[in-house]
Amino acid sequence: MKADDPNIKWIEEPKLGLAGKMYLPLVAQGLTTTWKHLSKSLRGETVTVSYPDEEPKIGNPLIYRGVHRLNKDEAGRVKCVACFLCATACPAHCIDIIADESPWSDREKYPQSFTIDELRCIYCGMCEEACPVDAIELTSLYNLTGRSREEMIFDKEKLLSVYDATKEQEPMQSPALGGTAT
Amino acid sequence: MLEILIKSAVLIGGIMTAAAYFVLLERRMAAWVQDRIGPSRVGAPLSLLGLKDLRLWGLGQPAADGLKMIMKEEYTPSHVDRRLYVVAPIVILAAAIATYAVIPFGSLLPPMEIGGEKVGPIQLTVAPGVDVGIIYVFALSSIAVYGVILGGWASNNKYSFLGGLRSSAQLIAYELPLGLGILGVVLASGSLNLERIMAAQAAQGWYAILQPLGFVVFVVAAFAEAARLPFDLPECEQELIGGYHTEYAGMKLLLFLVAEFLHMITASFLIVILFLGGWHFPLITGEADATIISWPVALARLLVLHGKIFLVIVFFMWVRWSWPRFRFDQLMNLAWKIMLPLGIVNFVAVAVLEEIRHSYGPDESTWAWSLGIIAASWVVFAAAWLLTSVANPLVTDNRPRRDLAPLEVDSPL
Amino acid sequence: MPTVTVDGIEVELGADERLNGIQAARRAGVEIPHYCWHAGLSVVASCRMCLVECGKKDPATGKVAMQPRVVPACQTPAAPDTVFITASDKVKNARAMVEEDLLLRHPIDCPICDKAGECSLQDYHFEHGREERRADIQPFTSRRRELGETVTLFVDRCVMCTRCVRFTREVSGTSELMVINRGAHEEIDVFRNEDGEIRFPLDNKLSGNVVDLCPVGALGDKDFLYRQRVWFMKSHDNVCAGCSTGCSIKVEENQDRIHRLKPRENPHINGWWMCDEGRYGWKHVHDPARLTQLRRRETGKLVSADWHTLPAQLENKLRAAGRLGAVLSPHLTVEEAYLLAMYIRVLDPEAVLAVGPIPTSGEDEHFRGGFTIRAEKCPNRRGVEAIVSRVGGSLLTWDDFLAQVEAGSIGGAWITGGYPSAWHDAADAEKFASVKTLVVQDVFASPLWDRADFQLPGATFAEREGSYVNATDRLQSFKWAIRPPAGVKTEGQLYWQLLGRPGLYRASEVLAEIAREIVYFAPAAQGVPEVGVDLKVTQLAASAELVASAGG
Repeated sequence: MKADDPNIKWIEEPKLGLAGKMYLPLVAQGLTTTWKHLSKSLRGETVTVSYPDEEPKIGNPLIYRGVHRLNKDEAGRVKCVACFLCATACPAHCIDIIADESPWSDREKYPQSFTIDELRCIYCGMCEEACPVDAIELTSLYNLTGRSREEMIFDKEKLLSVYDATKEQEPMQSPALGGTAT
Repeated sequence: MLEILIKSAVLIGGIMTAAAYFVLLERRMAAWVQDRIGPSRVGAPLSLLGLKDLRLWGLGQPAADGLKMIMKEEYTPSHVDRRLYVVAPIVILAAAIATYAVIPFGSLLPPMEIGGEKVGPIQLTVAPGVDVGIIYVFALSSIAVYGVILGGWASNNKYSFLGGLRSSAQLIAYELPLGLGILGVVLASGSLNLERIMAAQAAQGWYAILQPLGFVVFVVAAFAEAARLPFDLPECEQELIGGYHTEYAGMKLLLFLVAEFLHMITASFLIVILFLGGWHFPLITGEADATIISWPVALARLLVLHGKIFLVIVFFMWVRWSWPRFRFDQLMNLAWKIMLPLGIVNFVAVAVLEEIRHSYGPDESTWAWSLGIIAASWVVFAAAWLLTSVANPLVTDNRPRRDLAPLEVDSPL
Repeated sequence: MPTVTVDGIEVELGADERLNGIQAARRAGVEIPHYCWHAGLSVVASCRMCLVECGKKDPATGKVAMQPRVVPACQTPAAPDTVFITASDKVKNARAMVEEDLLLRHPIDCPICDKAGECSLQDYHFEHGREERRADIQPFTSRRRELGETVTLFVDRCVMCTRCVRFTREVSGTSELMVINRGAHEEIDVFRNEDGEIRFPLDNKLSGNVVDLCPVGALGDKDFLYRQRVWFMKSHDNVCAGCSTGCSIKVEENQDRIHRLKPRENPHINGWWMCDEGRYGWKHVHDPARLTQLRRRETGKLVSADWHTLPAQLENKLRAAGRLGAVLSPHLTVEEAYLLAMYIRVLDPEAVLAVGPIPTSGEDEHFRGGFTIRAEKCPNRRGVEAIVSRVGGSLLTWDDFLAQVEAGSIGGAWITGGYPSAWHDAADAEKFASVKTLVVQDVFASPLWDRADFQLPGATFAEREGSYVNATDRLQSFKWAIRPPAGVKTEGQLYWQLLGRPGLYRASEVLAEIAREIVYFAPAAQGVPEVGVDLKVTQLAASAELVASAGG
């Protein structure tokens, strides 16, 4: 690339005033900024917390991206219709669905098996965005641990049980938590 | 002899421990500036005895860090020059420690009786009364660069090599302003002996106040010599991975890291001793020329000296998170176009003012004269600073010239 | 030369070409949306999606006289000097209105509809529909109705293009489907009795084609229903191995698992269709009983072998066995058959070559639309026969070969199988008692396999690469669609390796070689287009050559 390439956009640096050229005001500015943070931290107002002793604060659990859950409808059946849109949207390819005809008369298709590899997942929340029936959601459970890789591959039952465990604290689309349900 | 051995032991033990804890302080400060907590867990591992662990605010961290470094695999890559590779960290650490032979770590201890024998007064320097103290410090701190270059060369790795090259260029460039900064101090105090320089400041006033220009030049150059941010180009992670110690691991890496910390501590010692009055603090540190001092005064001097050093080191760490790293051309501009001229201005100004005081001033210094001299030096400082700012030599336009025809310029882009 | 103008682009027509507006526009690079029109079916102009403006140019003055109303392009012949305008506001508005009408009561269940992703309704709505829906989103799901063993109907998704009805009338000739009710209540259905039970189910042998024909998701293939979303699958051009018609097909797979086969348009062979037998005839590819273990017999016991050391072992054993013989299965591609023949001939220049058994079932079935299902249930009889007769000198059949084996004149035999079902019995296998070294390459266990000294697991049609010659002497080339299961090496790759050729098996290179060597294959020398090449032109020359060689 030559210097006179028309694709290069040359940007002039902003000119410094005398105070800037003196450099000392800028020195003082830099030191003041770091000092503010330093003194704030010394007062104990750090962003990080001392984790196992202290639980992190989760602002809005509805927009927190933790472990997935599969929601149930009023009849207690899995809401998912096995449309594969979450698997399509998933950038990590961690969702594996086997679809089948549903055993219920009012529904066509349902997931015979629905597994998420929680180790492969990057918790981006695209599956939740993609879902047309609000069946998959990310909860605010962040402390996910396991003793083996197999244990971290969540099947349909486990994902439904996550719903049972969290439905009280995080109702689907609850307006109290910033959701859109009426 | 015994006295020297004890002093060496105390000094080496002291600075090594201090270096370890300054690493912890550095990490905690880094965390605080970034709104984090920092290492706060490693304390007394009482759970080995079946009790509850004590955290002690992370004070066990240096021990854990050291243990980790020692336990790590001592890996030597196959492509290195083995002898130089092993020698490099030893050279750099030896040079760093040897510097402390002439650096006072206190003032005096009053005479005392040990086992019925009268001892003292003891000078708190390993080798007291060395008349070329500053030159010795300079000579050894220059040797440290050998360790860096050897390490970079012996590693046989382009990043290490670049780190070594940068380091040598940088150290050579900043030796000059460093020397010019000291020259003013030597001129004013009339001695190369570090103890005498401290005593002179107790009598005349701190040189930071008397020679502000020299102080600034010296502090900037000291940062560069210690290769601390914003001058850590020899080992900048973003460009050179680890710089000259990229290929080092385990104990050898530890030696490099300790040596770097010792450089910073040495720089702090020199800043305090040469410009911030050393052990002197108004009213509480006694007569400057006294050869025998009382215990409270001795302790006060010790505390004042080390308190100042501690504050300077904290300043070093604080600066680290306040500025981004310089670019190499900026580094060189700063050295040759700003610091060197300012150092010369300072030297000339100090020489002229000293001459005026000697030739025209009263024998006993008076308030009016002292204030006049101080005012004059600050005026010189302000004028020189303003002049350099307006000349603005730090800004370089290193973009390719666009007014040339494309054929004439083989652009580096 | 007569011309037609489409959106200002002049299209030249052939002397007696009869195109409609859609085809003429396609030639100009303009796509006119359509549902009901299909090149293989009659024109009804019922969907109204292809409405365009049409006019006539006076060749003398160059003046264009446009018709005041929009007309369906499918029904408008592209007569000389016709002018079509497909991008005017009038046309766009007409399309938007048609789209809106079709979507008025179309259920919004795209997420669970198998057609989503390849649905004309979706595509045209994005391209030509209105930006906003003015009607209620209603209904949400579709009624479902069974039409037969293979096809199910989602009643509310239908746009009443009647392609399926016309297909059963015009192509399969069975007329099982019809339109019931009138107006907005029109629906597709089969003939039922008073209780609603199916009297005549959709069960003709081409029934799967109505699913491909359906431009929306109304007709669902029960075999594929809910198995896979279409956008996950990759489509590979291939050739059906079900019978000697050799339909051009597409193999659609995801991660080496076939999910469905679809016909590929080829006017010389299958038109737009394929039969159900071929369509669902891929199941054996993923049969768990498939052979995947490479084994050889050592002092009477079978031990596992590996493909790297196999060539040397095979060569030792076969060279020591005496007279060699090879059976080339009609499931092998031309290239594979040729490479195996070459290999056997290298080991023993006098080796006997024979064609494997030709499975047949019933009679050839001809359909009203010209489609034929052959009785010969193998894809490459003609190709392999040509190789055997030219390389081997004479055309031996499986029975001839068995006779020679039984007589004890064969010391080492290489048998290739690849048949989806049993192709010999235990009595045939008994005849190989005198064979010292028996190499069997097959996909399913059989009496011969159990007897073999070398058990080489082989590939199925979707894993092969090469060419088939169908019953009408048309040669079609194709590439592999899926990788064979772990442990299996395709025949082509193995033979290539046995002959010591460098790198990976390159079928096109082998075919060029065959075309040089054997006159019958000469038309394939210039490469093979998508629709294949006709080898008939050289048949006379080839038979003359055969006669000559037999006489000499």
